[in-house]
Amino acid sequence: MNYNNYTIVITGLGGQGLIKLLQILGDSLVRKGYKVMTSEKHGLSQRGGMVTCFLRFGDMIAAPIPIIGSAEMIITTEKSCILNVLQYANPNKSTKFIITEYKKAILDSKYPSDKDISDILKNYSNHLYFLSSENFPKNQKTTNLFVLGYILKFLPIEKNDIELILKDYFSGEFQAINQEALINGIKYQR
Amino acid sequence: MEYVDLIRSRASEEHFLLGNLAIVRGALESGIDVYTYYPGTPSSEVGEAFTKLYREVGMRWVENSINEKVAVEVAGAAYARGAKVMVGMKNAGLNVAADPLFALATTRPKNENSACVILVADDPQQYSSAIEMDSRYYLKLFKIPALEPSNPQECLEYTKYAFEISRKLKIPVMLRLVTMVSHARSNVKFGDLMHSEIKDDFDLSPEVNVASRLYFLNLKEEQIYTRMNQALNLSENSPLNKIMSENSLNEYGLGIIASGVSFSYVLEALEHLQIKAPILKLGFIHPLPERKIAEFIKSFKNVFVVEENDAYLETQILAIAQKNELQTKIYGKDPFSYSRENSLLSFVGELNPTKIAQALEKITDLPNKIIANQIKDDKYNTVKRKPVLCPGCPYGVIGYALRESLKKLSAKKPENVYFYQDIGCYTLLSFPPYSFANVKYCMGSSIALAQGVAHTDDSLNIAIIGDGTFFHSGIPALLNGVYNKAPILILILDNGWIGMTGQQPHPGSDTKYYKEGRYKNKIDLEKFLEGTGAKLNIIKRQDHNTKNYPKRLKDLIYEKSLNVLENGELHVILIEDECIQKFNENNILKIRYVDEKLCTNCGICYDQFSCSALYEQDNKACINRNECLGCGICEDLCPNNAILRGEENEL
Ligand SMILES: Cc1ncc(C[n+]2csc(CCOP(=O)(O)OP(=O)(O)O)c2C)c(N)n1
Ligand code: SF4
Ligand code: SF4
Repeated sequence: MNYNNYTIVITGLGGQGLIKLLQILGDSLVRKGYKVMTSEKHGLSQRGGMVTCFLRFGDMIAAPIPIIGSAEMIITTEKSCILNVLQYANPNKSTKFIITEYKKAILDSKYPSDKDISDILKNYSNHLYFLSSENFPKNQKTTNLFVLGYILKFLPIEKNDIELILKDYFSGEFQAINQEALINGIKYQR
Repeated sequence: MEYVDLIRSRASEEHFLLGNLAIVRGALESGIDVYTYYPGTPSSEVGEAFTKLYREVGMRWVENSINEKVAVEVAGAAYARGAKVMVGMKNAGLNVAADPLFALATTRPKNENSACVILVADDPQQYSSAIEMDSRYYLKLFKIPALEPSNPQECLEYTKYAFEISRKLKIPVMLRLVTMVSHARSNVKFGDLMHSEIKDDFDLSPEVNVASRLYFLNLKEEQIYTRMNQALNLSENSPLNKIMSENSLNEYGLGIIASGVSFSYVLEALEHLQIKAPILKLGFIHPLPERKIAEFIKSFKNVFVVEENDAYLETQILAIAQKNELQTKIYGKDPFSYSRENSLLSFVGELNPTKIAQALEKITDLPNKIIANQIKDDKYNTVKRKPVLCPGCPYGVIGYALRESLKKLSAKKPENVYFYQDIGCYTLLSFPPYSFANVKYCMGSSIALAQGVAHTDDSLNIAIIGDGTFFHSGIPALLNGVYNKAPILILILDNGWIGMTGQQPHPGSDTKYYKEGRYKNKIDLEKFLEGTGAKLNIIKRQDHNTKNYPKRLKDLIYEKSLNVLENGELHVILIEDECIQKFNENNILKIRYVDEKLCTNCGICYDQFSCSALYEQDNKACINRNECLGCGICEDLCPNNAILRGEENEL
């Protein structure tokens, strides 16, 4: 894999810890010597609004936002949110989709059915990875680390690289809980 | 990266850093003495970092001022006296700060050390703002130099340039940011920290720092024809205005001019289309380097000006082309036409590499390569989530009580009821299921808006304003209403903090619950309101267990609405109930759960009241245990006592 220009789109809901995920992943890549750029699109401090973030790394990247159709990976921590960022998927269907099965009802609108979502996603990617919710950490606050653990196998960083910096992001008992979520994510098999 | 690392890290270390924090480091590497600010996304992290660090690093003063005008005045006088100062705010804040800034820009401190940087963060696409506004046009009004960084590394470097230019020329320098720079994170290489060089020679000659009829015109003359002229010289020769990929000519005779984050979007777009083009990158955006721009334009048949929002660069570049009798075709927004058809880029909304690539395809007549990976299935394109109040937010029950009291009122008094909203989390009460907003402008406007209608109409007019906003700019409007006997009802929602931008303190916040608090006084809002002579009622939630709060609140709003209609006086209801996010930090709360045997599915909790942790499932109310914070309102509201206390929340 060539990591000159690698783009990850991460989407989900406010309060799910996406920014933390972005920070930890970005920080670990910088420590490995990569040029990294991240950006965030979200509203204010209330919970529940949709958040979209970009993490890009490699020598060729210039901007905090990618061009559409150019993402290597799209991650969603709330199932239906992915429907809003499909324009970033590569038209050749090579983009990896990481979809957590967590669902949060949408105010005044019907939640799309599982079948509808799968049918749509198949139009955009040949690489769908669903993370089923039974395996999620009990404490939903650590879903972000679980997802991070899962995607490590696609990226040029190791478990160690993340563990080394966890203490900069969590203190006390939270460090242990998040570490556990990370390891569960790494071990996760469908 | 922790805040302290900003002062403990050494030169040439590289860190993964937020644009805003790179500015903090840049200021510390410039020997900053004073930072004053008013919080506002996307600029707030700068102030939070300085507040945490300034004692350790030995700065003279840092404050979260009551509003942007005061922030500029506090810092401005420190600058006059000889300090290196920076003032921070978001886009709209510049409007509030404009009055003193106008005079400040013209005065000319003589102290060797004096320097003043004005940090303004715009928010294209208004991710977190009530308006979309391009601050760059203020530069023409104030006549001050300005720099615009395009990424976090430049945030650090340009902050240092800004201090240097201001110190040299004795004129404030604006550092202009946008959300995608303030909130971008990237590798940032540090330089050396610099210690304060403040000296005690306050120049007291009036012609230096006193804006008045006696001196102002002379100062203005000197500002424009000396200091701005020197700034122009700097801009012409600055490495911040440079031609990138000078030799990569293309068959379209095309050159590009861009600044800030738009420059990085241009690089992405060119890379994607596999076009090469020389780019004039403007980092020193006011005054623009006329000669350099004319030279650049001259060598091309076509020049594409790429900028976000207003056509600030383009209008000036068109004028420069005309003045220099250049025949080059200038592409961009065609700003004089006000025509969407003529615009290759819009005045409205955020720019991105895709929009630029599409515009480039039009200019170069390339086959459409951006096969706009359009979302092919429209069916769910509209699945858009609106932001909602946090579960347990004190405003949920206020919305509920307001609606219930008005129902009761309309049975008795048929007058129209209108609502005036302000800026804070409670703004969400403007939208369904509440819809309490008929007119809303900017921070602090609700109270005066209500007066405008009350003086011209027999309706009931209700202003809704938060405590933070009341301190920022609601106070003069309240005094205006009391003075003019305006028959309005004002609900002051005292949640103790500035909730919307992340629970920052304001002058009414409890000093026990924030670190900096031990150096502050708490302003007693109750006493203050009593002192205005307004008719006042105070209602407190007290703790989060009090039974009957929703009913007490409903009755009070009903009664005072009647009073306003009957006696034509101004009434204030001060509602004290702390932001649940902050309350949750200092209290142990218990998650609620529904006893299915007792729940009759009456819908009062999830339908009439609304909390995002509550929903209906299998004909029963249901509480999401991962979201409930344990405020207890639903327990109070349930007529069947079906909502019970469970375990402590872990959130
Ligand atoms: C002139 C201006 N400055 C700053 C902001 C950013 N801002 C938005 S709301 C807000 C304060 C809200 O505080 P408060 O009224 O207490 O409401 P809460 O969010 O606590 O509900 C601020 C500072 C703004 N919108 N306009
Ligand atoms: S106690 Fe009830 S109203 Fe409060 S947060 Fe929990 S579910 Fe919502
Ligand atoms: S941050 Fe505080 S005031 Fe704002 S929605 Fe959340 S609980 Fe309510």
